[in-house]
Amino acid sequence: MNNYINNMFPNEFMMAYPEAIKPGNVNELSMKLSKQAGDNMNFNKCGFDGKINPDNLYDVYNGFIRGNMFPNLFNQYKLSRPYDVKGDNERNELLNKVNAYCFAAHDLNLYLDTHPDDKAMIDLYNEFSADSKKIINEYESKFGPIFVNSNEGYPWSWNNEPWPWENR
Amino acid sequence: MWKYEKKLQYPVNIKKKNLKMAKCILTQYGGPAGELAAAWQYLDQRYIMPDDRGKALLTDIGTEELAHVEIISAMLYQLMKDATKEELKEAGLDGQYAQFGMDLFPSDSFGNPFNMTYIKVAGDYIADIESNMGAEQRARATYEHLMDLTDDPDILAPLSFLREREIVHYQRFKELRDYYLKMKTR
Repeated sequence: MNNYINNMFPNEFMMAYPEAIKPGNVNELSMKLSKQAGDNMNFNKCGFDGKINPDNLYDVYNGFIRGNMFPNLFNQYKLSRPYDVKGDNERNELLNKVNAYCFAAHDLNLYLDTHPDDKAMIDLYNEFSADSKKIINEYESKFGPIFVNSNEGYPWSWNNEPWPWENR
Repeated sequence: MWKYEKKLQYPVNIKKKNLKMAKCILTQYGGPAGELAAAWQYLDQRYIMPDDRGKALLTDIGTEELAHVEIISAMLYQLMKDATKEELKEAGLDGQYAQFGMDLFPSDSFGNPFNMTYIKVAGDYIADIESNMGAEQRARATYEHLMDLTDDPDILAPLSFLREREIVHYQRFKELRDYYLKMKTR
Protein backbone atom coordinates (compact mmCIF):
# COMPACT_ATOMS: atom_id res chain seq x y z
CA MET A 1 0.00 0.00 0.00
CA ASN A 2 0.97 3.55 -0.53
CA ASN A 3 3.02 5.10 2.21
CA TYR A 4 1.50 8.55 1.76
CA ILE A 5 -1.98 7.28 2.47
CA ASN A 6 -0.98 5.03 5.32
CA ASN A 7 1.41 7.31 7.12
CA MET A 8 0.16 10.79 6.52
CA PHE A 9 -3.56 11.37 6.21
CA PRO A 10 -5.56 8.16 6.56
CA ASN A 11 -8.66 9.79 7.98
CA GLU A 12 -8.80 12.55 5.46
CA PHE A 13 -8.26 10.22 2.58
CA MET A 14 -11.04 7.95 3.76
CA MET A 15 -13.32 10.94 4.15
CA ALA A 16 -12.53 12.14 0.67
CA TYR A 17 -12.78 8.74 -0.99
CA PRO A 18 -14.57 6.44 1.42
CA GLU A 19 -15.49 3.97 -1.30
CA ALA A 20 -11.82 3.52 -2.15
CA ILE A 21 -11.07 2.07 1.25
CA LYS A 22 -14.25 0.22 2.17
CA PRO A 23 -13.72 -3.51 1.72
CA GLY A 24 -16.08 -5.32 -0.60
CA ASN A 25 -16.88 -2.27 -2.71
CA VAL A 26 -16.70 -3.19 -6.36
CA ASN A 27 -16.56 0.31 -7.80
CA GLU A 28 -13.89 -0.20 -10.43
CA LEU A 29 -12.57 3.35 -10.43
CA SER A 30 -12.30 3.53 -6.70
CA MET A 31 -10.48 0.24 -6.55
CA LYS A 32 -8.11 1.61 -9.10
CA LEU A 33 -7.56 4.75 -7.06
CA SER A 34 -6.28 2.85 -4.08
CA LYS A 35 -4.39 0.33 -6.19
CA GLN A 36 -2.80 2.99 -8.30
CA ALA A 37 -1.20 4.55 -5.28
CA GLY A 38 0.53 1.24 -4.73
CA ASP A 39 1.44 0.93 -8.39
CA ASN A 40 3.09 4.30 -8.25
CA MET A 41 5.69 2.86 -5.94
CA ASN A 42 7.29 1.47 -9.09
CA PHE A 43 7.79 4.86 -10.57
CA ASN A 44 11.19 6.27 -10.19
CA LYS A 45 11.06 8.93 -12.83
CA CYS A 46 10.12 12.30 -11.50
CA GLY A 47 13.47 13.97 -11.02
CA PHE A 48 15.04 17.33 -11.50
CA ASP A 49 17.05 16.08 -14.47
CA GLY A 50 14.88 13.14 -15.46
CA LYS A 51 17.62 10.67 -14.51
CA ILE A 52 18.31 10.76 -10.80
CA ASN A 53 15.08 10.32 -8.98
CA PRO A 54 14.64 8.56 -5.70
CA ASP A 55 10.99 9.42 -5.20
CA ASN A 56 7.59 8.15 -6.18
CA LEU A 57 4.57 10.03 -7.39
CA TYR A 58 1.83 11.01 -4.97
CA ASP A 59 -1.48 9.30 -5.38
CA VAL A 60 -4.22 11.31 -7.10
CA TYR A 61 -5.73 12.84 -3.97
CA ASN A 62 -2.49 13.71 -2.22
CA GLY A 63 -1.05 15.20 -5.41
CA PHE A 64 -4.14 17.35 -5.88
CA ILE A 65 -4.22 18.84 -2.38
CA ARG A 66 -0.53 19.68 -2.74
CA GLY A 67 -0.75 21.07 -6.27
CA ASN A 68 2.10 18.74 -7.20
CA MET A 69 2.30 15.07 -8.18
CA PHE A 70 6.06 14.90 -7.66
CA PRO A 71 7.23 14.45 -4.05
CA ASN A 72 10.79 15.49 -4.81
CA LEU A 73 9.56 18.85 -6.11
CA PHE A 74 7.17 19.40 -3.24
CA ASN A 75 7.92 22.40 -1.07
CA GLN A 76 5.65 23.67 1.65
CA TYR A 77 5.37 27.24 2.92
CA LYS A 78 3.81 28.43 6.17
CA LEU A 79 1.37 25.52 6.47
CA SER A 80 2.50 22.51 8.47
CA ARG A 81 0.54 20.27 6.11
CA PRO A 82 -1.60 20.77 3.02
CA TYR A 83 -5.29 21.47 3.47
CA ASP A 84 -7.76 18.76 2.66
CA VAL A 85 -10.21 19.41 -0.11
CA LYS A 86 -13.62 18.35 1.11
CA GLY A 87 -17.00 18.67 -0.49
CA ASP A 88 -19.99 19.25 1.72
CA ASN A 89 -22.41 17.59 -0.67
CA GLU A 90 -22.40 14.89 -3.33
CA ARG A 91 -21.91 17.35 -6.16
CA ASN A 92 -18.85 19.00 -4.66
CA GLU A 93 -17.43 15.66 -3.59
CA LEU A 94 -17.64 14.35 -7.14
CA LEU A 95 -16.33 17.62 -8.57
CA ASN A 96 -13.27 17.34 -6.30
CA LYS A 97 -12.70 13.89 -7.72
CA VAL A 98 -12.98 15.24 -11.27
CA ASN A 99 -10.52 17.98 -10.38
CA ALA A 100 -8.10 15.58 -8.71
CA TYR A 101 -7.93 13.26 -11.74
CA CYS A 102 -7.73 16.11 -14.24
CA PHE A 103 -4.94 17.62 -12.16
CA ALA A 104 -2.96 14.37 -12.03
CA ALA A 105 -3.18 14.02 -15.80
CA HIS A 106 -2.25 17.68 -16.32
CA ASP A 107 0.81 17.57 -14.06
CA LEU A 108 2.07 14.50 -15.94
CA ASN A 109 1.30 16.30 -19.20
CA LEU A 110 3.77 19.06 -18.26
CA TYR A 111 6.35 16.48 -17.18
CA LEU A 112 5.98 14.65 -20.50
CA ASP A 113 6.44 17.87 -22.47
CA THR A 114 10.03 17.92 -21.22
CA HIS A 115 10.44 14.11 -20.99
CA PRO A 116 8.68 12.88 -24.13
CA ASP A 117 10.47 9.49 -24.16
CA ASP A 118 9.34 8.31 -20.73
CA LYS A 119 7.24 5.32 -21.66
CA ALA A 120 6.12 4.41 -18.15
CA MET A 121 4.94 7.94 -17.50
CA ILE A 122 3.03 8.00 -20.80
CA ASP A 123 1.23 4.83 -19.73
CA LEU A 124 0.33 6.43 -16.42
CA TYR A 125 -0.84 9.58 -18.17
CA ASN A 126 -3.11 7.47 -20.36
CA GLU A 127 -4.59 5.84 -17.27
CA PHE A 128 -5.26 9.18 -15.55
CA SER A 129 -6.70 10.56 -18.74
CA ALA A 130 -9.08 7.61 -19.20
CA ASP A 131 -10.09 7.73 -15.52
CA SER A 132 -10.78 11.45 -15.63
CA LYS A 133 -13.02 10.98 -18.67
CA LYS A 134 -15.06 8.36 -16.81
CA ILE A 135 -15.42 10.54 -13.72
CA ILE A 136 -16.37 13.56 -15.84
CA ASN A 137 -19.07 11.43 -17.50
CA GLU A 138 -20.36 10.39 -14.10
CA TYR A 139 -20.45 14.00 -12.91
CA GLU A 140 -22.13 15.28 -16.05
CA SER A 141 -24.81 12.59 -16.00
CA LYS A 142 -25.70 13.58 -12.43
CA PHE A 143 -25.12 17.30 -12.26
CA GLY A 144 -24.99 18.74 -15.76
CA PRO A 145 -22.32 19.62 -18.30
CA ILE A 146 -18.72 20.58 -17.61
CA PHE A 147 -18.16 20.82 -21.37
CA VAL A 148 -20.86 22.50 -23.44
CA ASN A 149 -21.01 19.63 -25.93
CA SER A 150 -22.07 17.33 -23.11
CA ASN A 151 -25.32 19.24 -22.89
CA GLU A 152 -28.24 16.87 -23.19
CA GLY A 153 -32.00 17.01 -23.32
CA TYR A 154 -34.39 19.87 -22.78
CA PRO A 155 -34.24 22.57 -21.55
CA TRP A 156 -30.71 23.82 -22.28
CA SER A 157 -28.71 22.87 -19.19
CA TRP A 158 -25.37 24.59 -19.88
CA ASN A 159 -26.50 27.84 -18.32
CA ASN A 160 -27.62 26.27 -15.07
CA GLU A 161 -26.01 27.28 -11.81
CA PRO A 162 -23.68 27.00 -10.10
CA TRP A 163 -20.93 28.77 -11.99
CA PRO A 164 -17.43 27.86 -10.95
CA TRP A 165 -16.62 31.13 -9.17
CA GLU A 166 -19.74 31.03 -7.03
CA ASN A 167 -19.31 30.01 -3.43
CA ARG A 168 -21.13 26.74 -2.87
CA MET B 1 -8.35 27.61 -29.75
CA TRP B 2 -9.58 27.27 -26.22
CA LYS B 3 -12.65 25.58 -24.77
CA TYR B 4 -14.24 26.39 -21.47
CA GLU B 5 -14.43 23.81 -18.71
CA LYS B 6 -17.16 24.76 -16.29
CA LYS B 7 -15.06 24.23 -13.17
CA LEU B 8 -12.09 25.73 -11.37
CA GLN B 9 -8.78 23.90 -11.45
CA TYR B 10 -8.82 24.08 -7.63
CA PRO B 11 -11.95 24.92 -5.60
CA VAL B 12 -12.45 28.36 -4.03
CA ASN B 13 -14.98 28.58 -1.20
CA ILE B 14 -14.30 31.66 0.89
CA LYS B 15 -16.87 32.10 3.65
CA LYS B 16 -15.65 35.37 5.18
CA LYS B 17 -15.35 38.53 3.11
CA ASN B 18 -12.03 40.32 3.49
CA LEU B 19 -11.61 43.55 1.56
CA LYS B 20 -8.04 44.21 2.64
CA MET B 21 -6.95 40.79 1.50
CA ALA B 22 -8.80 41.28 -1.80
CA LYS B 23 -6.79 44.45 -2.37
CA CYS B 24 -3.54 42.54 -1.79
CA ILE B 25 -4.52 39.53 -3.92
CA LEU B 26 -5.46 41.89 -6.77
CA THR B 27 -1.78 41.99 -7.72
CA GLN B 28 -1.88 38.30 -8.67
CA TYR B 29 -4.63 39.20 -11.14
CA GLY B 30 -3.25 42.30 -12.85
CA GLY B 31 0.11 42.99 -11.20
CA PRO B 32 3.68 42.51 -12.47
CA ALA B 33 3.99 38.90 -11.23
CA GLY B 34 0.32 38.13 -11.77
CA GLU B 35 -1.32 35.24 -13.57
CA LEU B 36 -2.57 37.35 -16.46
CA ALA B 37 0.96 38.54 -17.30
CA ALA B 38 2.30 34.98 -17.03
CA ALA B 39 -0.39 33.53 -19.29
CA TRP B 40 0.18 36.09 -21.99
CA GLN B 41 3.96 36.01 -21.74
CA TYR B 42 4.13 32.24 -22.28
CA LEU B 43 1.53 32.18 -25.04
CA ASP B 44 3.33 35.01 -26.86
CA GLN B 45 6.65 33.17 -26.72
CA ARG B 46 5.43 29.97 -28.35
CA TYR B 47 6.05 31.12 -31.89
CA ILE B 48 9.85 31.26 -31.81
CA MET B 49 10.52 28.05 -29.88
CA PRO B 50 13.03 25.96 -31.81
CA ASP B 51 11.21 22.64 -31.45
CA ASP B 52 8.01 20.92 -30.36
CA ARG B 53 9.08 20.55 -26.75
CA GLY B 54 9.07 24.29 -26.19
CA LYS B 55 5.91 24.86 -28.22
CA ALA B 56 4.07 22.22 -26.20
CA LEU B 57 5.31 23.36 -22.78
CA LEU B 58 4.56 27.05 -23.37
CA THR B 59 1.10 26.22 -24.71
CA ASP B 60 0.30 23.95 -21.77
CA ILE B 61 1.66 26.18 -19.00
CA GLY B 62 0.20 29.30 -20.65
CA THR B 63 -3.18 27.56 -20.71
CA GLU B 64 -2.89 26.58 -17.06
CA GLU B 65 -2.10 30.20 -16.17
CA LEU B 66 -5.44 31.18 -17.71
CA ALA B 67 -7.07 28.75 -15.29
CA HIS B 68 -5.14 30.49 -12.50
CA VAL B 69 -6.50 33.85 -13.63
CA GLU B 70 -9.92 32.33 -13.03
CA ILE B 71 -8.99 31.02 -9.56
CA ILE B 72 -7.67 34.46 -8.54
CA SER B 73 -10.78 36.11 -10.02
CA ALA B 74 -13.03 33.76 -8.05
CA MET B 75 -11.11 34.61 -4.88
CA LEU B 76 -11.49 38.35 -5.52
CA TYR B 77 -15.19 37.96 -6.26
CA GLN B 78 -15.86 35.98 -3.09
CA LEU B 79 -13.67 38.19 -0.88
CA MET B 80 -15.50 41.32 -2.05
CA LYS B 81 -19.02 39.96 -2.33
CA ASP B 82 -21.65 41.92 -0.36
CA ALA B 83 -19.11 44.52 0.77
CA THR B 84 -20.61 47.69 2.19
CA LYS B 85 -19.48 51.10 0.99
CA GLU B 86 -17.91 51.67 4.41
CA GLU B 87 -15.89 48.46 4.15
CA LEU B 88 -14.72 49.41 0.66
CA LYS B 89 -13.59 52.82 1.93
CA GLU B 90 -11.85 51.36 4.92
CA ALA B 91 -9.88 48.92 2.76
CA GLY B 92 -8.89 51.67 0.32
CA LEU B 93 -11.01 50.17 -2.45
CA ASP B 94 -13.31 53.17 -2.82
CA GLY B 95 -11.37 54.32 -5.92
CA GLN B 96 -11.78 50.87 -7.40
CA TYR B 97 -15.52 51.06 -6.66
CA ALA B 98 -15.82 54.57 -8.14
CA GLN B 99 -14.29 53.48 -11.43
CA PHE B 100 -15.50 49.92 -11.82
CA GLY B 101 -18.30 49.32 -9.34
CA MET B 102 -18.08 45.69 -8.31
CA ASP B 103 -16.67 44.56 -11.65
CA LEU B 104 -13.28 42.91 -11.63
CA PHE B 105 -10.54 44.99 -13.22
CA PRO B 106 -6.96 43.79 -13.58
CA SER B 107 -4.66 46.03 -11.59
CA ASP B 108 -1.96 45.67 -8.95
CA SER B 109 -2.55 46.11 -5.22
CA PHE B 110 -2.02 49.87 -5.54
CA GLY B 111 -4.68 50.20 -8.24
CA ASN B 112 -2.27 50.62 -11.16
CA PRO B 113 -3.96 49.07 -14.18
CA PHE B 114 -2.48 45.96 -15.81
CA ASN B 115 0.39 46.94 -18.03
CA MET B 116 1.52 45.01 -21.12
CA THR B 117 5.15 45.91 -20.37
CA TYR B 118 4.98 43.27 -17.61
CA ILE B 119 5.22 40.77 -20.45
CA LYS B 120 8.86 39.88 -21.05
CA VAL B 121 9.72 38.61 -24.50
CA ALA B 122 13.10 39.12 -26.16
CA GLY B 123 13.04 37.23 -29.45
CA ASP B 124 15.61 34.80 -28.05
CA TYR B 125 14.31 31.50 -26.79
CA ILE B 126 16.91 31.09 -24.02
CA ALA B 127 16.30 34.64 -22.78
CA ASP B 128 12.54 34.04 -23.00
CA ILE B 129 12.60 30.80 -21.03
CA GLU B 130 14.90 32.27 -18.40
CA SER B 131 12.56 35.23 -18.00
CA ASN B 132 9.81 32.67 -17.42
CA MET B 133 11.88 31.02 -14.70
CA GLY B 134 12.20 34.45 -13.11
CA ALA B 135 8.48 35.09 -13.51
CA GLU B 136 7.67 31.82 -11.71
CA GLN B 137 10.04 32.70 -8.86
CA ARG B 138 8.58 36.17 -8.47
CA ALA B 139 5.06 34.76 -8.46
CA ARG B 140 6.08 32.18 -5.86
CA ALA B 141 7.51 34.94 -3.65
CA THR B 142 4.34 37.02 -4.09
CA TYR B 143 2.19 34.07 -3.02
CA GLU B 144 4.36 33.66 0.08
CA HIS B 145 3.89 37.34 0.93
CA LEU B 146 0.15 36.93 0.49
CA MET B 147 0.16 33.84 2.70
CA ASP B 148 2.02 35.87 5.37
CA LEU B 149 -0.89 38.32 5.43
CA THR B 150 -3.73 35.94 6.33
CA ASP B 151 -4.61 33.03 8.58
CA ASP B 152 -7.95 32.22 6.92
CA PRO B 153 -7.70 28.60 5.68
CA ASP B 154 -10.23 29.33 2.92
CA ILE B 155 -7.75 31.87 1.50
CA LEU B 156 -4.56 29.99 2.33
CA ALA B 157 -5.60 26.75 0.59
CA PRO B 158 -5.88 28.14 -2.96
CA LEU B 159 -2.86 30.44 -2.41
CA SER B 160 -0.82 27.43 -1.34
CA PHE B 161 -1.97 25.44 -4.38
CA LEU B 162 -1.08 28.29 -6.73
CA ARG B 163 2.31 28.80 -5.07
CA GLU B 164 3.12 25.12 -5.53
CA ARG B 165 2.26 25.34 -9.23
CA GLU B 166 4.90 28.08 -9.62
CA ILE B 167 7.48 25.64 -8.26
CA VAL B 168 6.49 22.92 -10.71
CA HIS B 169 6.40 25.35 -13.64
CA TYR B 170 9.82 26.71 -12.70
CA GLN B 171 11.18 23.16 -12.79
CA ARG B 172 9.71 22.42 -16.23
CA PHE B 173 11.05 25.68 -17.67
CA LYS B 174 14.44 24.90 -16.18
CA GLU B 175 14.42 21.46 -17.80
CA LEU B 176 13.53 23.05 -21.14
CA ARG B 177 16.27 25.70 -20.78
CA ASP B 178 18.87 23.05 -19.88
CA TYR B 179 17.81 20.89 -22.83
CA TYR B 180 18.09 23.77 -25.29
CA LEU B 181 21.50 24.80 -23.91
CA LYS B 182 22.70 21.23 -24.39
CA MET B 183 21.38 21.16 -27.97
CA LYS B 184 23.19 24.42 -28.71
CA THR B 185 26.59 23.16 -27.60
CA ARG B 186 26.27 19.83 -29.37
